[in-house]
Amino acid sequence: MESDQNYSRKITFYGEGNKLFGIYIVNVLLTIFTLGLYYPWAKAAVLRYVYQETEFEGSRFSFHGTGKEMFKGFIKAIGIFIGLYAILIGAILTKINAIAAIGVIFFYIALLLLIPVAIHGSLKYRMSRTSWRGIHFGYRGILKDFMEEFVVGGLLTIATLGIYSFWFTIKLRKYIFSNIRFGNISFSYKGDGTEYFMLNLKGYFLSFLTLGIYSFWFVSDLFAYFIDNMRMNQEGYVIKFRSTASAGGYFGLIVGNLLIVIFTLGLGTPWATVRTLNFVFSNIIIEGTIDVNAIQQTEMDYKDATGEDISDMIDIGLI
Amino acid sequence: MQKFEISYYDGETSVSHNAFLSLQHDSWIIEYIHPLFGNRAVKWEIDRVERDMGFTSIFIFRYGDFPKQTLECKDERLLNSLKKFYPDKPFFDKKIDFLLRQSTTLILGLTASLIGLIICSYVYILPWFSEKAAGQIPVSMEIKLGEMMYENTIARYTKNDSLTACVNDFVKIIDFKTDYPIEVTVVAEDEMNAFAMPGGHIVIYNQLLAKMKSKEELAALLAHEVSHIHYRHSLKNIFRTLSGYLAISLMLNDVNGIAVVLADHSNMLVNLNYSRNLEQEADEKAIEIIKANHLNLNGFVDLLALLQTGNTDLQPFKLLSTHPLTKERIAFVKEMAKGQTAMKKNDSLEQKWQTIVAFEKR
Repeated sequence: MESDQNYSRKITFYGEGNKLFGIYIVNVLLTIFTLGLYYPWAKAAVLRYVYQETEFEGSRFSFHGTGKEMFKGFIKAIGIFIGLYAILIGAILTKINAIAAIGVIFFYIALLLLIPVAIHGSLKYRMSRTSWRGIHFGYRGILKDFMEEFVVGGLLTIATLGIYSFWFTIKLRKYIFSNIRFGNISFSYKGDGTEYFMLNLKGYFLSFLTLGIYSFWFVSDLFAYFIDNMRMNQEGYVIKFRSTASAGGYFGLIVGNLLIVIFTLGLGTPWATVRTLNFVFSNIIIEGTIDVNAIQQTEMDYKDATGEDISDMIDIGLI
Repeated sequence: MQKFEISYYDGETSVSHNAFLSLQHDSWIIEYIHPLFGNRAVKWEIDRVERDMGFTSIFIFRYGDFPKQTLECKDERLLNSLKKFYPDKPFFDKKIDFLLRQSTTLILGLTASLIGLIICSYVYILPWFSEKAAGQIPVSMEIKLGEMMYENTIARYTKNDSLTACVNDFVKIIDFKTDYPIEVTVVAEDEMNAFAMPGGHIVIYNQLLAKMKSKEELAALLAHEVSHIHYRHSLKNIFRTLSGYLAISLMLNDVNGIAVVLADHSNMLVNLNYSRNLEQEADEKAIEIIKANHLNLNGFVDLLALLQTGNTDLQPFKLLSTHPLTKERIAFVKEMAKGQTAMKKNDSLEQKWQTIVAFEKR
């Protein structure tokens, strides 16, 4: 590797609020007039814009997903939900208590199992549809393994009244990151459950004691814990990420966004989105030896957006 | 021939090639210098070129099967050249792209129409829709809702038990021509007011009862309030008034939410304003009831006159807003009373009325 490849780099976001606003307005109107059917195209338009305004080493990211793909996923996702509800309602209509109870239990278990399916599908789709310099990202996780992680972790979380959730979160992050590929670059996450638990414990307590003032330090700590523990690996060379986000920075971002959204009655949301993305990207530094010209295409194409759409419906915010 | 400076990616590696694009009749030629293999030229057949629509000022095109080759161009002139070279190719002239690129005016216009749409739906569509929704609620549920609102409302009043019992006896003798179970509550209150709740509850302030001079007046008041119940006016009115909250509850698929909203706002029943049409409809039905029970319609006229005098009372606006069109209504009922025939004496009703009067005096 050449020596000039060893320095810190940044991702830059060039998006503008007014451009995003134009997209939003058209999206909202078309979504209303089509009674929601336009939603997949609306989402594709926003993602395409946002990815294309994000630059690394002079090249922009691309989102390849289309409204059509996501619409197919949307229909499948709706089909799944209708099916589940049909079973539930059918079971209740039998008016036999045992069957109704089984129906209800089945419904909730199915809904819970849908979460890992949705996360998995969404990651596969989102990663495959993301590229930089023509090289695609990919997610190699296996649904069965992920389900196992999820069910075990979920049950432990319930059994420990939520305390296990911190270890669970870190486990999921580790699994997900270890399965993300960017061409021949692999990822990993170095976080530790106990550390994460202590961080949260400290954050809750101090936020409580300071009547919420500490929460800005808390969110910047959580962000840093996410970013600082990310690693990329290119042929044995480790590339690290580092957060520079400060509590003051978060304060400006959150308060500013609140004011923008409230005083424009929500119409200013695109500007708030742009501010957030600017803040996030400008506060991530990528350090280490990376050869941006030597990334090889390795991943397969994946066009099924069902997971992505289920995620939207049960409102899972990814990463 | 014009050449455009581009970045070219072959889809195999991330090497960014500084390349030149030249447009041919049926293909694009991309030329670059490969670090290992020297001068290279790639041909893209025009029919398989795809444009990435991203609403940015960068032009991105892709070609071939997965993994696709990609070119990025920041030269604005490319678009014009494409239009000139391939006037009937759709990929650089998507309507929505045109829409977004073109003008601020257009976007401002769209924004204005969106705001207009929101306001319009809040002011017109939502109330209309919630009134329709009120019509769809089953009677059993309406009665339950009314019961709940009644419990909430009545807690703030002092109930007059003996008068309540007397008036309910009075109610039983009249045929109100409705399936709703009518239940009157008389409360101690220094204003002249009465209101109906969905499902059958009627609340009468004792001050109004005290000012009445005949059983016909009370019968007319009851007939009018029952008509509001019968036509679901109160339910519709509540839904209209609370349409904003109700819409949110409906959107969140939260039936309990609807109940909570109604319970929280039961107090507004006191001041709820019926529209001209609803008052008219209730008056017509009341007249029908009074006639069918062979009672004198002039009692209705007296009642309206009594309510009108209430306008000069201490709280004129309250009654004014509850029954805003009293003058017109008096004229209408008077007109109807003129042609009235087949009135009968009703001794049992008179007897119940006298009981009420007797209790009044205590």
